[in-house]
Amino acid sequence: MPRAETTGTAGAAVAAGAVDVELAGVSVLYGPAKAPVTAVEDVSLAVTPGEFVVLVGPSGCGKTTLLRLVAGFERPATGTVRVHRKVGVVFQQPRLFPWRTVAGNLAFALARHGVPRAARAARTEELLGLVGLPGMGGRRTWELSGGQRQRVAIARALAAEPQILLMDEPFAALDALTRERLQEEVRTLAAVTGTTVVFVTHSAEEAVLLGSRVLVMAAGPGRVVEEVAVPLPRGAGVDVAALRGAAPFASLRAELSRATREAAAGA
Amino acid sequence: MTLLDAPKSTSVPATDGRAGSPGRRRAGRAGQVLRWTALRLLALAVLLVAWQAVVAAGVWPRVLVPAPAEVWRALVRASTVHDGVRGVSGHLLVEHLAVSLRRIALGTGYAALAGVPLGLLIGVVRPLAVVLEPAVTFLRTLPPLAYLSLLVIWFGIDESPKIWLLVIAALPPITAATAAAVRGVPGDLVEAARALGAGPVSVLLAVRLPAALPEILTGIRIAVGIAYTSVVAAETINGVPGIGGMIRDAQRYNQTDLVIAGLLAIGLSGILLDALFRGVERAAVPWRGRA
Repeated sequence: MPRAETTGTAGAAVAAGAVDVELAGVSVLYGPAKAPVTAVEDVSLAVTPGEFVVLVGPSGCGKTTLLRLVAGFERPATGTVRVHRKVGVVFQQPRLFPWRTVAGNLAFALARHGVPRAARAARTEELLGLVGLPGMGGRRTWELSGGQRQRVAIARALAAEPQILLMDEPFAALDALTRERLQEEVRTLAAVTGTTVVFVTHSAEEAVLLGSRVLVMAAGPGRVVEEVAVPLPRGAGVDVAALRGAAPFASLRAELSRATREAAAGA
Repeated sequence: MTLLDAPKSTSVPATDGRAGSPGRRRAGRAGQVLRWTALRLLALAVLLVAWQAVVAAGVWPRVLVPAPAEVWRALVRASTVHDGVRGVSGHLLVEHLAVSLRRIALGTGYAALAGVPLGLLIGVVRPLAVVLEPAVTFLRTLPPLAYLSLLVIWFGIDESPKIWLLVIAALPPITAATAAAVRGVPGDLVEAARALGAGPVSVLLAVRLPAALPEILTGIRIAVGIAYTSVVAAETINGVPGIGGMIRDAQRYNQTDLVIAGLLAIGLSGILLDALFRGVERAAVPWRGRA
């Protein structure tokens, strides 16, 4: 499997000015070698530890491709991708293993992470508590609702203790109420654990609510056209639900909606 | 209302977002099973009546087409000790059947032990697939009676050529089903496993193998069926005890009723075994069709 270059050691102390993810002059080509389609053209970006970076844009702008580059699922045609700490991935679909129970899915990740068998039960319960599913380890994955499955997928990704969490439209397939609740939980979780997050969405509202920094992308070929800093409060004590109704949130969302519409129209 | 009417959808208006109450659905399914069983019994009765009518009309001589009652008597004779003779050729019908079933079980068992790992390798190692897939197809197209001669030359006329024949007959479907299933595992799941730090070996054994299990079990069930159809060929030489050997002996003495009785024993046990295997499949892969 093509793997992004990984340097440094997982869990190493983060020096001031350190970078978790670096993309430099990255282009990605798809299709036949004779007539390739440029999915992403000349993208450079850096993500620093603890940042919550959201990639937003219309379909086909290459935001998922950028995420897959960081995850190591794709290789750039030109440019370099450097990932300096351990990565975990949450996909749009939960992608749970149906032949394993909920606990079994977490055990798969814990085993690959080198957690000894004896410690797994306690760690599983801890993770399930973290995503709001305490005591659900014995359930079969198909007995769960869509929201619960995605919570298990998040717990499974966290089981490997990644310092960088990549999330590809993880809430797109959920109902509105579940989506809002999970948005709030992930925002708080990232802030509390200090996890770096790169998050892909096509929703301006989701981008403003979650991101500390939002990158607006345009299609044809995919590129970053605008960057918006989101100076909303973050941390354990922040009432995320209340943020949705706050004035700064509304104006930021309006600005971002305009930017994404322009990006879509300019494509 | 006809027998085949599908049960009306019994779902009550869903207020909680779920389908109708499980109790009513179960009742509907039970009714359907009852109607289907009735239909099958009816078809069987029609067949028996038609058979008896043909025999009564004397279209063909009795030696070629015995009456249902004669076949029944042959079944009873083969299943009991009479005049100091034990069943047919010294063995009861169930004993003939048991010996054949043991051969089928051994043949399919060995074929599964070899075929599943072989299929896994063919599924993931491209050069192996290029070489071995035509070989598997070649083996599949051979009629068992054709390679029986070779097996008899190599292994004699005891138990081993019979088992070998069934292994060769059962191996291709298991290998092919496993290889296809392993290739067909959703890339999504493999990617998710890799994202969690799984290497090629654990992706193969902990993701591809379990994900392919439903199709592998289906392949084994099909292989059991093929072993069933091959067992008579395996027992053409020195096949007694064995249901195939019993049928061969009956043919030699123009005992048409006993031949038909033997066929019934093979077919009915085949239906039972297939149903049993479907049950095992459902129990072993409860997630099938649900995830």
